[in-house]
Amino acid sequence: MKTILKYTAALLAMAFALAPIYWLITISLKTEIDQFASPPLWFHFTPTLRHYEGIFAHDAFGRYFLNSLIVSTCSTLIALALGLPAAYGLARFHWPGDWANGISFWILSNRMLPPIVTIIPMFLMLREVRLLNTLAGLILVDVALNLPFVVWMMRGFVEDLPREIEEAAMLDGESRLGVLLRIVLPLVRPGLAATAVFCLIVAWNEFLFALILSQTESAMTLPVGIASHVTQYEIQWGAMSAAGVVAILPVLIFASAAQRYFVRGLSLGAIK
Amino acid sequence: MSLRVENVSKRFGTHDALRGVTLETLDGEFVVLLGPSGCGKSTLLRIIAGLEEPDQGAVRLRGRDITALDPSRRDVAMVFQGYALYPHMTVAQNIGYPLRVRRRPASEISSEVEKVAARLGLAHLLRKQPKQLSGGERQRVALARAIIRRPQAFLMDEPLSNLDSRLRIDMRAELKHLQHELGVVTLYVTHDQVEAMTLASRIAILKDGLLQQYATPHEIYHRPANLFVAGFVGSPSMNLLPGQVESGVFRRAGLSVECSAGTNRELTLGIRPEDVEFSLTEQAPGWTAARVWVTEDLGNETLIRLSLDGAFVTLRAPAGTRAEIDSLAWFRIRPEHVHWFDSQTTVAIR
Repeated sequence: MKTILKYTAALLAMAFALAPIYWLITISLKTEIDQFASPPLWFHFTPTLRHYEGIFAHDAFGRYFLNSLIVSTCSTLIALALGLPAAYGLARFHWPGDWANGISFWILSNRMLPPIVTIIPMFLMLREVRLLNTLAGLILVDVALNLPFVVWMMRGFVEDLPREIEEAAMLDGESRLGVLLRIVLPLVRPGLAATAVFCLIVAWNEFLFALILSQTESAMTLPVGIASHVTQYEIQWGAMSAAGVVAILPVLIFASAAQRYFVRGLSLGAIK
Repeated sequence: MSLRVENVSKRFGTHDALRGVTLETLDGEFVVLLGPSGCGKSTLLRIIAGLEEPDQGAVRLRGRDITALDPSRRDVAMVFQGYALYPHMTVAQNIGYPLRVRRRPASEISSEVEKVAARLGLAHLLRKQPKQLSGGERQRVALARAIIRRPQAFLMDEPLSNLDSRLRIDMRAELKHLQHELGVVTLYVTHDQVEAMTLASRIAILKDGLLQQYATPHEIYHRPANLFVAGFVGSPSMNLLPGQVESGVFRRAGLSVECSAGTNRELTLGIRPEDVEFSLTEQAPGWTAARVWVTEDLGNETLIRLSLDGAFVTLRAPAGTRAEIDSLAWFRIRPEHVHWFDSQTTVAIR
């Protein structure tokens, strides 16, 4: 009886979570007429790939997709490359008093500010260095967005490692940098993978900054591109849904590939 | 003189971990740092390794001042209590790591690894991961990693304390033999006095960050410098009975012993359990009566604890000695083996 209840609850939660996705997928496969049938056509409709053909025929979609891919991968890699050494320093070096915690909290507090507050200064700064409407500008912004999270997560993972292992490496003749690259890096890989997934998802879905800071097609990312189907005269539900489905895929693939690390990484951090 | 620690002090917050410790080793010597937990012995080892910085004082290795040098550039090897093997590398990679860091050619590394592994009986484990090994095997890998590059000093921080007691005794003997073969000066931290006595050529006893005595195991046992050393080394430990000396006789409740170590002062009498004679029948003179408090039959000998006016006297009696608890018995302190200590300063009087 208890198991039945448990499974029912799990199924309900899953249905609740997956309903919008199901809606998105069906809309992307329906003709415009079927999309607004009332009562809704849950299963019985003639599927069409017209919307998918439409978005791929439109050059810009490929461009957006590629831009998103470049921006999210580059920004994730840079955030990890900068964040791990920072986290290592906070976890391991001697800090006077409670500075390590103070600095960590200050870093995290940057994430507490609503992003919209910083958007005008960001716009002005990027304009000043001529990075508006460039992928480099968006990468920079996404790095800034993700860095606090990387530092915060990775600090926990580094602190979980036994100090003795690093000390042994130093006595074996390894420099600090060598310890970081050849001892710490391989050992925090599960945590790094989990953090990378988070960063990728944040960067992939980032909409606000991308909307304001990239207004030309050459630097637009997928979320902005999808939103552009809401035009002055109509909302292209079919094309928008098809683009949405395609946009979900990379995150889905990456997350399931990293799932093994993901769960382990999360629980590792939690046990501490 | 191969390793020298000069007037080293270290403070953590308000706690003085080390207070002006000076220590010097001879070439190839096996020095054990012994003391209760929190006495500063591990801190001293970590300062020599370069993992902690001393607040004052200097560390010299073969005349070279290494106080400010990075751990990686000191040419000392360390074995940790938890072994500190690299979990993501195989046994062979672990052992070869110090050579890999030094960018030696791969062929040289693998031949050296094989040599060292054969010497420590690890040849069949080279492809395994550390987590697949038993405690004793991990210990050997840690040792192999330390000896492969022939450092100028070995530092060992309670390396045997995670092993079960039988293995610990085997490894102890092996370690001593290995150290003798290599002839490299070794500093070994432990809180186990038996380990210290069996391994050391000299023992440095620390308490509250102060060096209490630095001498051979024989001298530490037979000529302890103060009450702390006397009570810390030896199992069962030395009997320590505080009392008063008046006109050449040491007196305390129920006991009087001749004493030439001054007069009219408060002294503590120290006597090892093996230097106390025991009898079940009344003897006189020079024998003292006491109640049997407990007996412990160890097979090769019997430990007897007597109760004497609120104090205890422990003694070693021959195997098979029987005495009923609470029965009356007699003991005699061999005067030639008595140690005298000043009760106030705790220092030995010689």
